[in-house]
Amino acid sequence: MRGGENKFTLKSYKKLFESLYPQLCVFAYKYLNDLELSKDFVQEVFLKVWEDKISFKNENHATGFFYKSVKNKCLNYLKSKQYKTTERYELANLEDYETEEFYMTEAVTIETTAVIEKAINKLPEKAAQVIRLSIEDYTNNEIANKLSISINTVKDHKKVAYRKLRSFLSFLTVK
Amino acid sequence: MDNSNKIKPLSEELAASLIKNEGNSNLRESEIFDTETQSQMLSKIKTGEYSNLLKEIETKKDWKVIEKKIEKRSKKSFKFWPYAAAASIVLLVSVAFVFNKADNKDVDFGEPVIVNNNIKTGTDKATLTLEDGSTVVLEKGQDYKSNNISSNGEEIVYQPVIKHAGKEINKPVNYNMLTIPRGGQFYIQLSDGTKVWLNSESKLKYPVTFNAGETRQVELVHGEAYFDVSPSTNHKGAKFKVYHQSQEVEVLGTEFNIKAYKDENHISTTLVEGKVAVSTESVNELLVPNQQLHLNLETKTTSKATVEDVYNIIAWKEGIFSFENKPLKDILNVLSRWYDMDVIIENTVQKEERFIGTFNKSNSIEDILIAIKSTGFINTYEINNKTLTIK
Repeated sequence: MRGGENKFTLKSYKKLFESLYPQLCVFAYKYLNDLELSKDFVQEVFLKVWEDKISFKNENHATGFFYKSVKNKCLNYLKSKQYKTTERYELANLEDYETEEFYMTEAVTIETTAVIEKAINKLPEKAAQVIRLSIEDYTNNEIANKLSISINTVKDHKKVAYRKLRSFLSFLTVK
Repeated sequence: MDNSNKIKPLSEELAASLIKNEGNSNLRESEIFDTETQSQMLSKIKTGEYSNLLKEIETKKDWKVIEKKIEKRSKKSFKFWPYAAAASIVLLVSVAFVFNKADNKDVDFGEPVIVNNNIKTGTDKATLTLEDGSTVVLEKGQDYKSNNISSNGEEIVYQPVIKHAGKEINKPVNYNMLTIPRGGQFYIQLSDGTKVWLNSESKLKYPVTFNAGETRQVELVHGEAYFDVSPSTNHKGAKFKVYHQSQEVEVLGTEFNIKAYKDENHISTTLVEGKVAVSTESVNELLVPNQQLHLNLETKTTSKATVEDVYNIIAWKEGIFSFENKPLKDILNVLSRWYDMDVIIENTVQKEERFIGTFNKSNSIEDILIAIKSTGFINTYEINNKTLTIK
């Protein structure tokens, strides 16, 4: 790969930021239980990566790197003196937080939710409602009842949704 | 063990299969989570436990904070490191090009010759022509504001103009024009809420405001545009019409694509959703979703066909080029507009070779050429200034 054209510009870094920032904040919140602090930490990680000119092999690598960095930052904070002096300390179950299982479970749950939200946001309102219910395991019949529409309309909305998300879904499965 | 790199592919695959109601086998196959954890994760995802929290995060606002800090700090570091290039994080963008024939010939590959590569990846840019004929250049970093118009240099939005009740006088409409150069693309929202994506080398003429109840009229002078028309029901039943020198499309609120390039001898109108009527000199045709009307500008004849995959036609507005079984010459013609380059294909047989391929518009031209070359159907290529020669 030639480097020349592929440096992170402010524009491409903004894209990366927009694609990861919300879920990283929610992810940090799972450790810190403080949304403002979570945002600050995630922002600091983004600044550090930019300044250190860290390079990534691909998008999976980049995503993994950010999750891992945010996790480490949160854990370091939870272990710090500064935090131990606050009253919230007792609430934190540090040993659980430090496990790989907690890390991966939260990361995948939150990232998947973010991907789904991104997809649903691309849809017209009705189709979005149908897909949301369908993800919650409602059958076509139940969705039809809930939204007071016919089963065929439910099916049509699903078709519209799959067509609209075609690029999204096929790109995901091609990998 | 560190599974960080699996977070993204695992999540994307899981999201896709949940949306398509295809279960969650990949979570099981990953062998990272035990059965109980899997079911807890699924229940949280399905009920959208984190959805509301995600929505609370103000990404755009917070980026501004980061952007300011980055700009401030990079100025600082410049003093110390005059030679330091910009941050060099390299993201590999996936380029997939597959040749549509199974047999791969053995060819002697030549090394590409690159002399003074001036071929740049396209960006968001346009020239706005106001009703008095004056022009404004729109590109990143160039904000523009006036009356009901605002642009951040990456898109332009016309706000609806609220008229005083009772005194609704329909004035003659003023027209603005948006010209997208080669190597550009742009998004515009008209004052009625209609959204238009404009591809490279395109020109759109449209009213600054629409008169209530009157037919809304815009003109695609040339080029390619995707319209997501605000429904007539929101505008006292006012129809929406897209004119072109050779045809007219009448719509009632729908999504469709028109491709009418100057250097092509045909116009294609493709309907994605809703209903449109296309009239030319000789015919008046109704289209249903997934249908395409092809107007041959030389013979003035039309043909209507169902498009197998409408996505290939409108992918450009999502930042993707998707070619399904297209001759190399057509692919390179599309690329020449986005990368603003001249293309020479030396071998006439190669011109007609067909490819299947998808790639991101953010790729550099060389990434794409390497992928095409890897199919073995071109020997090599040369870039000299803004000219690409396929050998």
